[in-house]
Amino acid sequence: MTALSVDQFREYANKTESEVGKVIVGQTEVVRHVLVSILAGGHVLLEGVPGLGKTMLIRTLGEALDLKFSRIQFTPDLMPADILGTEILTDQDGRREFRFRPGPLFANLVLADEINRATPKTQSALLEAMQEGSVTVAQQTYRLEEPFFVMATQNPLEMEGTYPLPEAQLDRFFFKVNVDLPDVKDMVEILDRTTGKETPSAGRAISGADIIQMRALARTVPIASHVKEYIANFVLATHPDDPHASPLVKKYVRYGVSPRGGQALVLGGKVTALLSGRYNVAFEDVHAVAPAALRHRLLLNFDGLAEGVRTDDVINELIDEVKIQG
Amino acid sequence: MTTITDLSQVLNSWIRRLRLQRAVMWALRGFILGLAVSLALGSIGLYRAELLREEFLTLVIFAPLLICLISALTAFFWRLPPLEAARRFDRLFRLGERVSTALELHQLHLDAPTEMIERQLQDALAASTTVDAPRHLSLRPRLREGFLALLLILLICAVWLRGDRWFEAARQARGVEQAVAEQTTKIEEIIKQIDSREALSEQQKRALTAPLKEAQQNLRENPSLENSVSTLTSTGEKLQALSDPQSQQMSKGLKEAGNQLAGQEGSPLQEVGQDLAQGDYVSAASRLQNIAVNELSQAEQQQLADQLQAMADALGSTNPGLASELRQAADALRSGDTASAQQALDRAAQSLAQAGQQITFSQTASQTASQMQQGAGQVLAAGGGQQQANQAGQGTGSGQGSNQSGQTNGTDGSGAGRGSGTGESQTGDEAGAAPIQQNNGPGDGGETSYEQIYAPRLLGGEGGPQVGLPDADGEGGDVIGEGPTTPGDPGTSLVPYSEVYSEYERVNNRAIENGEVPAQFTQIIKNYFDSLEP
Repeated sequence: MTALSVDQFREYANKTESEVGKVIVGQTEVVRHVLVSILAGGHVLLEGVPGLGKTMLIRTLGEALDLKFSRIQFTPDLMPADILGTEILTDQDGRREFRFRPGPLFANLVLADEINRATPKTQSALLEAMQEGSVTVAQQTYRLEEPFFVMATQNPLEMEGTYPLPEAQLDRFFFKVNVDLPDVKDMVEILDRTTGKETPSAGRAISGADIIQMRALARTVPIASHVKEYIANFVLATHPDDPHASPLVKKYVRYGVSPRGGQALVLGGKVTALLSGRYNVAFEDVHAVAPAALRHRLLLNFDGLAEGVRTDDVINELIDEVKIQG
Repeated sequence: MTTITDLSQVLNSWIRRLRLQRAVMWALRGFILGLAVSLALGSIGLYRAELLREEFLTLVIFAPLLICLISALTAFFWRLPPLEAARRFDRLFRLGERVSTALELHQLHLDAPTEMIERQLQDALAASTTVDAPRHLSLRPRLREGFLALLLILLICAVWLRGDRWFEAARQARGVEQAVAEQTTKIEEIIKQIDSREALSEQQKRALTAPLKEAQQNLRENPSLENSVSTLTSTGEKLQALSDPQSQQMSKGLKEAGNQLAGQEGSPLQEVGQDLAQGDYVSAASRLQNIAVNELSQAEQQQLADQLQAMADALGSTNPGLASELRQAADALRSGDTASAQQALDRAAQSLAQAGQQITFSQTASQTASQMQQGAGQVLAAGGGQQQANQAGQGTGSGQGSNQSGQTNGTDGSGAGRGSGTGESQTGDEAGAAPIQQNNGPGDGGETSYEQIYAPRLLGGEGGPQVGLPDADGEGGDVIGEGPTTPGDPGTSLVPYSEVYSEYERVNNRAIENGEVPAQFTQIIKNYFDSLEP
């Protein structure tokens, strides 16, 4: 058993949400999904129109979590070396040598702002870091410090001058969280908080070591076999060739979810269960994280794109269609 | 400390409740199924006129109860593994897979930290204690199923209360079936009796048993009312045709002669007379043959000659051959030619034996024919035709009149009367009327005179030509037209068959729909009209 208890897990999580809530108004589901992703050890892609507080959320999270935070503004001229780091010629004691100077990626929490504005070459520079937690420069591999999270944002509207993320990179994001417009009540609250005399800020809630322990604890949450079978069936049902695929999947989906999607459902479900005060994964936990875990892993075909079908609709239909065993 | 046993106890109590709920639910469903099945089977049985009222009652009571019981027991004892039950209860009670996960952790020994397992078990038990299982697993039957059961019960009651006609038809059909079976057995016994009669030759036995065997087979193949009555009646007619009307006169003559001889004490032919009076012709013939003329005294020979002469005179009109032999024997005795007398007596004995055989054969045929007619009457009576059946059962109708078969169907019941004779044969049916009394039953001697009520003399009504009617002897009438009306010549129809058929069919259908035709005959009539359809 990890040193952290279940009660402490919930306490830390609540504290983090509370600190973030001091700055971010509303968006509780977004905050919850980002937190789940962090506690599950995954990266998050936040998508929303400008001005909804995506960057603010991640920055606040960086404040609440006692982690080394760095922000990278992705632009078309951003080069891989700009984020990974590069070797520079140094003169030390009369000796000249190349020394590696780490880029902004060498942090615990990396904000990749407007990630789709960078070229694919730069985007793919993130691949190794996100998957392996390491960076290789000049044939030298450098291990990134744990915990390591990439929080990326992208704007769904401005497509000109952007480079959509390739499927391989999208798959490496644990969750893709949609940030929607706040309602009137939240909007008024935002206006109050941001136009007053004092600017709110979040305090430290948990440390990197706590996060690592919480992550380890979450992985011990048991999951019943029929729930695992359900997840497996769910993932397979996203493939149009599967006999249990729903009508929407058969009509509009080109490629279904990879096993990484299933992993995200299990891990996300485990964290959600603990956050809900339960010690096992329930179907409702899986359903709660399914849209965030799968929406970026479902590839629609031409018909789906042309007719404006949302992957969330496909996932919600699957939630209704896939039969629960037992 | 919380253990898995605590959770198992809770789970077992839920399982018991679930079994009970299933038993109640499926008991009602089984009851509904039983009602539906019994209603369907009962309706089919009634439609086919096979189910009696008490059998229908037994069916509609016991079938639902039996299926209800089987369903309830099956549902209660249906296999329900604890893990599957736990998954079911998790969903039903919204327990968030707590119970099934706890059960799996302990049953399958999943790899998880001890603290996590204990906390999970405590959580599962805590959640399970808040569950109100009786509320979720209610024993109250569903309203829709209750209504369905009520509806079926009402339908069964309707059939029970309104099904008199069907039940009566079934009762009659069952009676016919039983009566036909009895007749089949009876025919079997008659055949055995005929085979055992020594007075009949093998040829005569075969002649008598052949129509009986044919009838027996026919009854077994098709034991319907119509076929049974027809078979028994036609068999009776066949047997009646085998009987010789003169045999009765011959028998009467022999009996009278026998009575005369039996009264003469100490005479040589006293014992022959006794046998003849008793109808034992074989013995009589044997005794006649055994008389040794040579051993008789002169006076006895004279007495024998007188008796033979008297016997010959008595049988002269009914059996001339035998009378002639007897007369020859008497003449030979008077002339003292004992050898010739002995030979003549032997021939007379043979003639007497043959006459006896002929009389026995004729009597047997006549009796058997009578039994067949009675059997037809019994079958008809079982089928509801009591009135006509009584007519059919009266004697064998050996008169010279017409042989007529009449069948009447109506609300008062149905029946048939059938007679046999040597005259013309006629068959007729009349629907919707009381049985016709025509004095043409089997024992009535055929058609008799009728009272003429009205006969028009003006052809075509007022102002038409005068027509001369025949007198009482059937002579003197005017012939107003001739046509090909013999059975072999169908003549020429003025209206096409296809035009009149629909009208007749319509009248028939209306009669069936109005219930004017007994249920057991509707299908026969329908088949008949179907066969006529152009």
